[in-house]
Amino acid sequence: MQNDRFLAYFMILPVVAAVLAFVIGPTYNVATLSLTQVVMGQERGFGGLDNFRALAADPVFWTVMKNTAIWIVGGTVLCVTVGLGVGTFLAVDSRLTTSLRVLILLPWVLPDVVTAMAWKWMLHGQVGIIGQQLAATGLTDETISFLGDPDLVMWTLVVVLIWRKMPLVALILCAAIRSVPDDQLEAARMDGATAFERFRFVILPNIAFSLTAVTVISMIWITAEFALPWIMTGGGPANASQIMATYIYQQSFEFFNWGVASAMSVVNLVMLAAIVGLYLYINRRSWASEGDK
Amino acid sequence: MNNSMSRRRFLGSTAAIGATALSPLKLAQAASEEVSVWKFGGTPTEVEQWALRNDVFTAANPDISLNYSYFNGQIRRQKILAGFQTRRLADVIIAFGQDIPEFAGFEMIQPLDDIAGDKMAGWKERLVPEVMESGMHDGKLYGLPTYVDMASFLAVNLDALEEAGFDRPPATWSEVREYAKAMTKPDRPGIAFPATTAPVDINIFEGIAYANGGRIFDEDTNKVTLNDAGVVDALQLYVDLIADGSTPAATSLTETFFRDTAQLFGQGRSAMWIGLSWLNTPWGVSEGVRWTGVPFPRPDTASGSFSPVNAIMDPTAVLMVSSRAENPEAAIEYLDFWSQNEQLEIWGGQPEVARIPAGKAAWDNPELAEVWPNWVEAYNAGTLFAGAAPMPRFIGVSAIESALGTAVQEAVLGQKTPQEALDDATKAAQTQIDLIRG
Repeated sequence: MQNDRFLAYFMILPVVAAVLAFVIGPTYNVATLSLTQVVMGQERGFGGLDNFRALAADPVFWTVMKNTAIWIVGGTVLCVTVGLGVGTFLAVDSRLTTSLRVLILLPWVLPDVVTAMAWKWMLHGQVGIIGQQLAATGLTDETISFLGDPDLVMWTLVVVLIWRKMPLVALILCAAIRSVPDDQLEAARMDGATAFERFRFVILPNIAFSLTAVTVISMIWITAEFALPWIMTGGGPANASQIMATYIYQQSFEFFNWGVASAMSVVNLVMLAAIVGLYLYINRRSWASEGDK
Repeated sequence: MNNSMSRRRFLGSTAAIGATALSPLKLAQAASEEVSVWKFGGTPTEVEQWALRNDVFTAANPDISLNYSYFNGQIRRQKILAGFQTRRLADVIIAFGQDIPEFAGFEMIQPLDDIAGDKMAGWKERLVPEVMESGMHDGKLYGLPTYVDMASFLAVNLDALEEAGFDRPPATWSEVREYAKAMTKPDRPGIAFPATTAPVDINIFEGIAYANGGRIFDEDTNKVTLNDAGVVDALQLYVDLIADGSTPAATSLTETFFRDTAQLFGQGRSAMWIGLSWLNTPWGVSEGVRWTGVPFPRPDTASGSFSPVNAIMDPTAVLMVSSRAENPEAAIEYLDFWSQNEQLEIWGGQPEVARIPAGKAAWDNPELAEVWPNWVEAYNAGTLFAGAAPMPRFIGVSAIESALGTAVQEAVLGQKTPQEALDDATKAAQTQIDLIRG
């Protein structure tokens, strides 16, 4: 018995070590770096909150915060909303939806670099097929540079992001919707509930857990997404698409300014934890109230 | 009979078998000297040629095991920094001359004077002095250059030039505006220039600004000088070209980097484009597009506070030895191999490589004279490198170039005037420089 317990601990040791080495360790390291003056690999001593003050004084940082809010909140809300719509459609049994359930995964399985380069050319102001089609059909006077226009670039990136991330969200929600008990839907139908009412009062409560999980996961995916915006715009033009992930990268690996980059990572972590925490808190309250009923 | 094996016995046995199987491999590896090489960037033909010459090195040095890897030039700083921090840096790094001060400041690379010994005399004999100079920092040689790139140059579509009634390319800034306007057609702008934040796009602009007496940083005073008149007026030229209606839409300039700009010119989608010395040679042009390359026109009157330069240049394949090289002797052998005329000459007859050769012997190559007659003529007359300065290189250069890139985009997009954009960039970059340089 004692030996089995020892063996059990021994067997989970690699996982515990991996979590310590790859999650707790780097997080601790980043937290301490954010309080240290580290430039060009040289530690210049404890700096207190200097790195955070430097961030607050950096005008680009506030542009980055605004862009990151559009990226994370806009991206997540649209990704989950569109994903829910598409998932609901895919949950209907038909030959079309059966094939679509497979095809819809295509954007998700493509490598980031391929996706980014393909979209970059399709959206290009001089040779991009999208701008040319819009101009040819008379919807615009001339071709549009979606990635070169500071007013359009951020939302253009969000659209590409949704195209890429939404399929998996749709499939997860489709699976959740298909697992809703038929008798509940049938009972609602017999009681005269409309399609919208069945969706709102039967399907949504049943898929609440999946919806919450997929929202949190999407938020984390989108926060961590780096390749797509970096390859498509490099944060430009004039920082109009600079988000937290790209600015942290720039501070770390272009300017070698690790103290400030770590401070930004801490801000990012706190911000994400706060949003996810708030979201989970609201949902748990709503689940609890559902349970009370 | 019970043949089952306990879990503990299974783990123990597999670990022992693995260790036994791998141990001879380790011994075999230790028998020869290994030299690892990371090369960053290069045109497609150059990358191909480099690998072929590596095979020659391997055949000539059977006792040295060459472990060669190629990476995209844009990720070099990140890759090298990560390698240094994780103690996985290659023995030889082939990167850009602009990197030398920061890598030396970081103590990532070591001075070759200290480890190359008697090889140095041969290098000095075989390399063009001005090019060799571009591998030096603080009076010491840190990198062995194999060629240089120069900024800034202008590619001109000859049919468009003749159609507009000109018999020679533009020679001054005012002529550039006049020519670009005259060569513009509704479906083909007269001139295009890359205005993304890619380092090469910024180098192209710096070439124009430095020729106007501008500088981005004054090392004597530790001051960022982005808002010097030389830089402001160079940016004003970009803005004027857009205002003249001679360029693609400003929003398209900020999304199109140098290689895409070259390819659009090669397809006949612009009549001229501003680039580095290689212009279109690495990627070619569509059949029927006749073109020529000339140094970018000079300002009518230089307005900067510093001496105007004829060009700025950088060795973008400079061989450096890591400070953590485990086999410095083998690394130096590799550098010495690349200092030989046979290797330095591979650029000579390869127009697609499109680099300005570092080897003295390469300039006698008749194929080079055929492909780049103007270069050879200028070299023989002693004027090719006259008045040329190194591309900006100092600790913190990336931070200033990044601020400059943003300012160029702000002015090009009309968000700020060149003066306002560069004033703001100067302030932002000075904060970064003060932090970085302490």
